[in-house]
Amino acid sequence: MQYIEILGVTPDLVLIFVAVWAVVRGHEEAWIVALLAGFVKDLSVSDPLGTAALALTPIVLLAAATRIRAVDTEFLPSVVVVALGSLGYGIISMIVLAGTGQSMAWSDSILRVVLPGCLVNALFTPLIYMPVHTFTAQRRLGTIGTRRLTSPL
Amino acid sequence: MRLVWWLAAITVVSLASIVLSERRAFDPVQNLSLTATTPLASRLRDAARPVDDFFKGITDRGDIVRENKDLRDQIEKLEHAVAAQQNAEQRVRELEDALGVKQARPEDQLLVANVMSEDTSGLKRMIAIDRGSKDGLDEGMVVLSRGGSLVGTVTRTFNDFSWVQLVTDPDSSVNAQVIPGAPQGQAGSPSPTPAATAAPAVTPTPADPASSPAATGAPTPPPSSPTPVPSPVRGVAEGDLKHELVLDLLPPDASLTEGSLVTTSGLGGNYPRELLIGSVEGVEQRPQSPFTKATLKPAANLYTLDTVLVLLSFKPARLSPQ
Repeated sequence: MQYIEILGVTPDLVLIFVAVWAVVRGHEEAWIVALLAGFVKDLSVSDPLGTAALALTPIVLLAAATRIRAVDTEFLPSVVVVALGSLGYGIISMIVLAGTGQSMAWSDSILRVVLPGCLVNALFTPLIYMPVHTFTAQRRLGTIGTRRLTSPL
Repeated sequence: MRLVWWLAAITVVSLASIVLSERRAFDPVQNLSLTATTPLASRLRDAARPVDDFFKGITDRGDIVRENKDLRDQIEKLEHAVAAQQNAEQRVRELEDALGVKQARPEDQLLVANVMSEDTSGLKRMIAIDRGSKDGLDEGMVVLSRGGSLVGTVTRTFNDFSWVQLVTDPDSSVNAQVIPGAPQGQAGSPSPTPAATAAPAVTPTPADPASSPAATGAPTPPPSSPTPVPSPVRGVAEGDLKHELVLDLLPPDASLTEGSLVTTSGLGGNYPRELLIGSVEGVEQRPQSPFTKATLKPAANLYTLDTVLVLLSFKPARLSPQ
């Protein structure tokens, strides 16, 4: 029963993780991560199984779109993908819940849950970005190092 | 092109899962997951501790460091023991409270349940409790707080646990009535039992009972009574993301005072009569509006629920045999 609540919402670490993974590691891996993370997330909440997996798909599309960018950093695109992805996630979740027979207070849900969620999730992005980025950088370095050592040249 | 294929595949899998989940095909998986993950999380934490200690221990050298560490471990163990004792004392107090409600409602069969989890999506107000269909729970059953006030209803049952929709959920609506009488002095205090809340109903109120069109069907005062018994004002208590709980569809001329107690009216047959919902916090009356609206403060503290009571003996209208 202990949750961190900022602006009345809880940061969605699963969503941030998927978004950061998609930006840093590429969308091919992110599809699998989004699917698995979505199903795991749904097992811990009362939504129908598959809701989160479906709602996480725009994040991977957004991450794919950020490949075409002017800035040479992965952090800013991660923050943007998290913020916009939170919006898409919230809207798709609401559509699914409405489709499964639950009455939705659309304006209140968007104003009080989805939009603050975008901001809070974006603020929490560095928390997930740093370990994912470090892990990826280490793996890239290791791969390059191995190739250098074993290279016949 | 691969992106489109992935998108199509994930969408199809997700939609198929949603449909199957709605048809309850994944109930065993969902039942297993929450039941299994709650104790598993703490076990994993405990299991990882020696590994963590091992890596920390490699860097620790010297008798002083080791001794210091041992002493710290001992302090931690003693603190754990103290915390466990305090938890046990708290649990005893909770169960004593629950027993008090049971004694106040001898005709009702109540089942004590622990709150396991909370829906964190923000779009809903739901809690998971550690009682399921094997304990006799069914969808629509009423859930009370330890103090006996209304918490919500069971909306989905699995074998070992259930999801409870709180009264503050935007999808929740309860037929309610404002108890005529003096406003409650201590709105934030622990909620009284329903029997106790019903007591002020006999006290006259400044509001004119005859002016309330919603008063039809309410008990009429005996002819010999010198002072007329005021009728309760009826409305619908709905969950709201902004105000948490709103009492809507009240008659336009309803005169409400802050702190007035609101209970279930029993209309519709989904809730028993006179379960305390909360107290009036503010009233919104607009000249153009056909109804008066009031914001309510739930009697039960829905943010710190640890133990709840499921009312097994009351069968909602939907569950009653035809």
